[in-house]
Amino acid sequence: MLEEALEHLVRGIVAHPDDVHVASRVLRRGNVLEVRVHPDDLGKVIGRGGRTARALRTVIGSLAGNRHVRIDLLETGEVR
Amino acid sequence: MSIPDETVGDERGEGFGTMVSTESAEDTAGVTDLDGGEELDDADDGPADVGLLEQEGDIAADYIEGLLDIADLDGDIDMDVEGERAVVSVVGATLDELVGDDGEVLEALQELTRLAVHRQTGVRARLMLDVGGFRARRRSELAEFGRTIAQEVERTGEPKKLRAMSPFERKIIHDAIASAGLRSESEGEEPNRRVVVFPAS
Repeated sequence: MLEEALEHLVRGIVAHPDDVHVASRVLRRGNVLEVRVHPDDLGKVIGRGGRTARALRTVIGSLAGNRHVRIDLLETGEVR
Repeated sequence: MSIPDETVGDERGEGFGTMVSTESAEDTAGVTDLDGGEELDDADDGPADVGLLEQEGDIAADYIEGLLDIADLDGDIDMDVEGERAVVSVVGATLDELVGDDGEVLEALQELTRLAVHRQTGVRARLMLDVGGFRARRRSELAEFGRTIAQEVERTGEPKKLRAMSPFERKIIHDAIASAGLRSESEGEEPNRRVVVFPAS
């Protein structure tokens, strides 16, 4: 549900909604929601001073029952 | 937000990794200060474009409705135009997830909703989002608080600096102070911006 919710929230605010993909990855330190967006949209989802990214994290964290959820924002094709 | 986690607090942006440096000022320039309704309220007294405000309400309602569906939350959406801004209210049973302990989730959701509206209209949105009547309740509490402060400042004759507040909260305080015939200003930078109340001169 969290992936879907995050995808919905991000798709609504970017210029290239079809390029938004969210994947849940299990890393050693816990789950990560990995959001990939069109390179032109990365600035938008981060926002000035990171405030849009923070807003996404606040909403998703609350939907997750206030568990800590890590969200990574990346460009499509970016290797990590 | 009360995420019981050590990374929350002073480094709330940490989870977003190192990509922050790629932020494009250009992309965000048009949508900065979206919650600066406080300052804007006096600034643009142009005629309200009701058609645009209704369109804003529709876009916002779709955005929120989609989220409610995905999160399996019950809630009905009311749309209204209040003064110069669209108001979208979610009413329903248990919506605490969308409000947060101190309204911080609601603020975040409102910010995202405004961005969603802005993307489609190209116009900076001042839309207000309410969930479960949170803002309505908060508004009356704050107005009462503002009246109390006004009386205190009037009595002491000393300026009084209030705690840091959101633009929404400050606006209500400013209005209450003005109604009491006193003057107030905001000072400091977000998120530590606070109202200072001055005695009538």
